[in-house]
Amino acid sequence: MSRMDFGASKALTMGIELELQILNPRDCDLTHGAGDLIRILEGSGHPGDIKPEITESMIEISTGIHECYDTALAELRTIRDALVAAAKRLNLLVAGSGAHPFQRWNERQIYDKPRFRQISELYGYLAKQFTIFGQHVHIGCTDGDTAMYLTHAMSRYIPHFIALAASSPYHQGTDTSFDSSRLNSVYAFPLSGRAPVLDRWDAFVAYFEKMRAARVVESMKDFYWDIRPKPEYGTIEVRVFDTPLTVDKAAALAAYVQALARYLLSERPLAIHEDMYLAYTYNRFQACRFGLEGLIIDPSTHEHRPLHEDIAATVGRLSTHAEQLQSTAALRLIAGWAETRANDAAWMREHFRRSESLADLMWQTGQLWSGAA
Amino acid sequence: MEQLSFLPAWPPDATPLAWIAVLLLAAIIAGESVRRSLRASRVIGYLAVGALLGPAAAGLIDSGTTSQLRIFVDIAVGMLLFELGQRVDLSWLRRNPSLLAASILEAALTFMLVYLAMTWFGIRPATAAAAALIALATSPAVVMTVVKDLRAQGQVSERVMLLTALNTAYAVIGLALMVGLLHDGNERSLAALVLHPLYLVAGSLLLAGVLAMVMLNLLRLFGRRPAFQFSATVSLVLLTVAAATMLKLSVPLALLLLGVFGRLFDHERHFVSLRFGETAMLFVVLLFALAGASLEFSGWATALPLALAFVGARLLGKAAPILLLSGASSLALRKSALVSLGLTPMSGLALLMLHELMQRSPSLAAEIGSAMFLAITMLAFAGPLALEFALRRAGEAAEEVR
Repeated sequence: MSRMDFGASKALTMGIELELQILNPRDCDLTHGAGDLIRILEGSGHPGDIKPEITESMIEISTGIHECYDTALAELRTIRDALVAAAKRLNLLVAGSGAHPFQRWNERQIYDKPRFRQISELYGYLAKQFTIFGQHVHIGCTDGDTAMYLTHAMSRYIPHFIALAASSPYHQGTDTSFDSSRLNSVYAFPLSGRAPVLDRWDAFVAYFEKMRAARVVESMKDFYWDIRPKPEYGTIEVRVFDTPLTVDKAAALAAYVQALARYLLSERPLAIHEDMYLAYTYNRFQACRFGLEGLIIDPSTHEHRPLHEDIAATVGRLSTHAEQLQSTAALRLIAGWAETRANDAAWMREHFRRSESLADLMWQTGQLWSGAA
Repeated sequence: MEQLSFLPAWPPDATPLAWIAVLLLAAIIAGESVRRSLRASRVIGYLAVGALLGPAAAGLIDSGTTSQLRIFVDIAVGMLLFELGQRVDLSWLRRNPSLLAASILEAALTFMLVYLAMTWFGIRPATAAAAALIALATSPAVVMTVVKDLRAQGQVSERVMLLTALNTAYAVIGLALMVGLLHDGNERSLAALVLHPLYLVAGSLLLAGVLAMVMLNLLRLFGRRPAFQFSATVSLVLLTVAAATMLKLSVPLALLLLGVFGRLFDHERHFVSLRFGETAMLFVVLLFALAGASLEFSGWATALPLALAFVGARLLGKAAPILLLSGASSLALRKSALVSLGLTPMSGLALLMLHELMQRSPSLAAEIGSAMFLAITMLAFAGPLALEFALRRAGEAAEEVR
């Protein structure tokens, strides 16, 4: 089996990965601790997986494969509790949010692993500035063609995901005015953006082989797309979420993607066409900059409407799918956040307004993450 | 010639400021040279300049210079000890009690082993105990300076700082008790044995507690502007040095406690955004130069065996408990070994304690004075090297920015 054969998985199963910040509780700056944390957790028999990421100040947790929201949420909470307990023994604070608000990127230490060292050499300062934290949601697909359809159809909802999860308003000590500044860092990479408009898996494999023959890429990992097919897992992977401030939000966002996938695959409401991407970068910018208050242009009707309205309408359309997937509770949360325009960026700005300290903001973020607040 | 009276006499009279400037310049140049050519700790360069210009060699630094520099040294010591105290997170000890156990055991075993080694050499018990007490403390100045210089972050740095703060506190409290025991001759009164140590400890606690509350209230009243926070903190640190000196309390203990209380009472997390940065480093350079000047390089031959026994017993006493409790305190054995290596440095504080004890007891000076000076000299130079090695090996030092 070649590594580009699509390893089918059960339709609509989901898995969640979260990149997290490791902070020093004294000044709430990022600190080195991934290796020591992983060492403690290795023997502890927690569910899911805890892995190093590119710098010593990041750690990635991931769930197993889930069919419904409740079990995914329960597993995330268990992993979080194990991680928080280990962090306490080392006097570390673990926190969500898409970027650290005042870290100095030149103090980051690249985690000692060959792939991370290669990335660091290739991208230079970008690799260290890439100390940003995202949530990835995997959705299982039965075959490659389905994955290609879903990759493109799901792109219509990318602004929803960005605006709902946005949690990186501060960067290098200042308010960026963006709700998600993290994605601006991602777009600095040459292979970011979106997948080419191909609706069949064999056509996609041919494209990939051409890119590899030209030595633009070595593997699928080199594409930093917003959504990318992941043949070895048999999934598509949505990668635009900032890491939310709580696992509860992370699970609800994953359930939203799952319900959308069910809707898109069973009703096939969109035809794959280059025109789907007419307004793509505009919409994405609006979501990053203005969050739930941003505008979205519907590429088929050319209609402009506020994102929160578009989300509310979409959630309404998903109700029967959510019932089938037992995720009505999650979608109710999504609708509530859209209605009140309450994303994590808003929470962070409100907190900073009161405390006037980005360090204190990160302390609060750490408390929220641990489930204590 | 009358018209030229505006010209200075030749050679011009050197003002004290000139000596300080020259010393400072020589020390920072030596520090940078040591870093660039030997890739070793800058602290070594500062110490070496002090030693070369000090009474043991060139004799340019004498007691007069030392007293002129006193104020800089007080500022440097104040800032370093306060910052170290700030880094002691008492709640960490509660969440990871094995760390507290490691701290108590490393102090206890170091004391025992050094005491045994000294008595084996035929040193009187009271003198041996004094030497053992000096062995407890890791140099807070070296630890803070090297950690900041390398911008080190991670478990090894954190644990070295925590254990240093604690063993410094043990040594300072122990010194207060020991001073009572050491009075030569007939002065062993109740006051010397009980009341004096009690006054030192309780007084330092009270002073630090009160000034920490004052500091936090200032921060609460005037907000989080970094420049204000910084100046307010430095002022309170200086006030603590002054008050502790005037009240004849323990200056190091009061400063450590000011840091600890400042953090403990800081329910609104004012200190979370405070950064000391490089400002105090100027004073720290002078601190090490002066420490270098007070090192002794004579009498090596006779004192060497005793000094080596002291160093060996101290290393073993610190390493064994930390290695033993490595697993229980959730750290890899390799990193625990690096932590115990990082506790090697001895410097100004040890010299200060030695001077204090020798003043009280001339017989102690005769018995172990030169051996202790030698041991401290060895560890003053070897300590920064060992600590830097440990932090680099642990992968906690930031890469050098050229």
